[in-house]
Amino acid sequence: MKTLIIEIIDAARLGELYTVSKFFTDTPDLVALGEGDIPSGFGKVFHTDEILGANILNALLDLIKDERYELILLSSSTEGNSIASPLASFLSLPIISEVIGIEKDFIVKKPLYGGKALVTYKIKKTPIIITIRRNSFEREDLKGSSNTIPLELKDKPLELLAEKEEKVEGVPLEEADIIVTGGRGIGAPENFKMLRELADLLKGAVGASRGAVDEGWVPPQMQVGQTGKIVAPNVYFAIGVSGASQHLAGITNAKCVVAINIDEEANIFKRANFGIVSDYRKIVPALIDVLREEGI
Amino acid sequence: MNIVVCAKVVPDYEVPASDFELVNGRAHKRFTRMIGLYDENAVEVGVQLKEKYNGNLIIISYGREEDIPILRKAIAMGGDKLIIIIGNSDDPYIISENLKMGIERIGDVDFVLAGRQSADMDRGIVPGILAGMLNYTFVPQVTQIELINGLWKAIQVTEKGIREIKVSKKAVFSITDDPGNIPRIPPVRRILAAKKMPVEKLNEIQVPPMQIEEISVDIPKIEIECEFLSVEDPKEAARALLNRLKEERYL
Repeated sequence: MKTLIIEIIDAARLGELYTVSKFFTDTPDLVALGEGDIPSGFGKVFHTDEILGANILNALLDLIKDERYELILLSSSTEGNSIASPLASFLSLPIISEVIGIEKDFIVKKPLYGGKALVTYKIKKTPIIITIRRNSFEREDLKGSSNTIPLELKDKPLELLAEKEEKVEGVPLEEADIIVTGGRGIGAPENFKMLRELADLLKGAVGASRGAVDEGWVPPQMQVGQTGKIVAPNVYFAIGVSGASQHLAGITNAKCVVAINIDEEANIFKRANFGIVSDYRKIVPALIDVLREEGI
Repeated sequence: MNIVVCAKVVPDYEVPASDFELVNGRAHKRFTRMIGLYDENAVEVGVQLKEKYNGNLIIISYGREEDIPILRKAIAMGGDKLIIIIGNSDDPYIISENLKMGIERIGDVDFVLAGRQSADMDRGIVPGILAGMLNYTFVPQVTQIELINGLWKAIQVTEKGIREIKVSKKAVFSITDDPGNIPRIPPVRRILAAKKMPVEKLNEIQVPPMQIEEISVDIPKIEIECEFLSVEDPKEAARALLNRLKEERYL
């Protein structure tokens, strides 16, 4: 199946999409967006520095028609989402978003109802557009470099006035083996300091639930969940997190969940491997003390 | 200024996974229905823009007639008009075509807002498909919008931070949550007034669905039994937890 990946130049995202493309093709083509080194492994590689989806759309429409792509793959990210559904609309193509599983015979799976259900689709018609949920597929470690063909853009309805990267301390959430997440139950923004201390000792990252982000305690880039970061750590400490299904959808691939919550009825305990029903202000300092005593 | 907000009524998204139940591949009808999680953020952004720029806020929904009382919350929040297109399809093209039909009947629309994704189908594709159909620019994951020198500036959330984007065409913005757009609780007088507001009901137009085959919908089994650790002494609990994590080779 002639396949095109459209993605910003980011090793992790390209690696995940490359893995998915292998279900359908030997060598996918690529439209690479933004700046950076583009790895090898692709067929034709088109490139533009532009990252705003609406500004690339018309060039993509022409390219997809000219090259007769049967499958267009993107990630379910801000950039992928800005392109995938308008592209489907203009080309009248079927689209399946947030895919988390692919099987033979063109069977794909995606979550419904905040991850409480899973729908299975069979692809009946191509061309088709698929977006994949981050961290749901193994990442191919792409190396080398590619020669590129410039992608000529047409009209630009959007102008990028500023891009501000939120400085998040420590390991990026998507890469972390250990994540210490705080929910609304931790009570105040300053209490994240304690979670940061624990995460630092474990060489992990600090996350937050939607509730903590909505309170304005931490930036949205720290949000774990269906509409935040999708993570896959070895150990996920959920501290003061109630366990809404939208949050659990973001930690499906966590190998072990440790829940610390004063409410023994909290839903998070139904997803947890280990649970401590207690005030986290007693348990987290104790964890920090023990880790220090053990010289970790 | 006409601002349109697309709002969808969905089954209660707070229902825990352990209580969730499907009938014919969709959420059981016993679950309470409510306006979608992010659609309420979109309504709030619409209300803030209406207040700031003296606009007219129109709420449009594709869904069941019995959902009208639920949609009145968006009127109580600050909407001026409610249009519902009666239909029960989950297909994104059918929903988008019908929303487009409703929006075009309004006439001159400055822009359209919608939640970043519905809390039932979890797709996040209807706003972008709608934008394509309307020939509007699509800008996803936006938290704030303001008018600067006659052009709209949107704040877009990315995986790494935020972008400030100037929009020179009519646009559909999909809205994500942010401390600045948490829905305010409407006052009682507006809740009461919203109950009396006439609603424009439209029949859906027939359009072909998307060409994919839904094979099954299942509830994933979670086979995890939580091992609760004793907490009589916090330090002992911490030590026991770390030991168990090491024994199981998670650490």
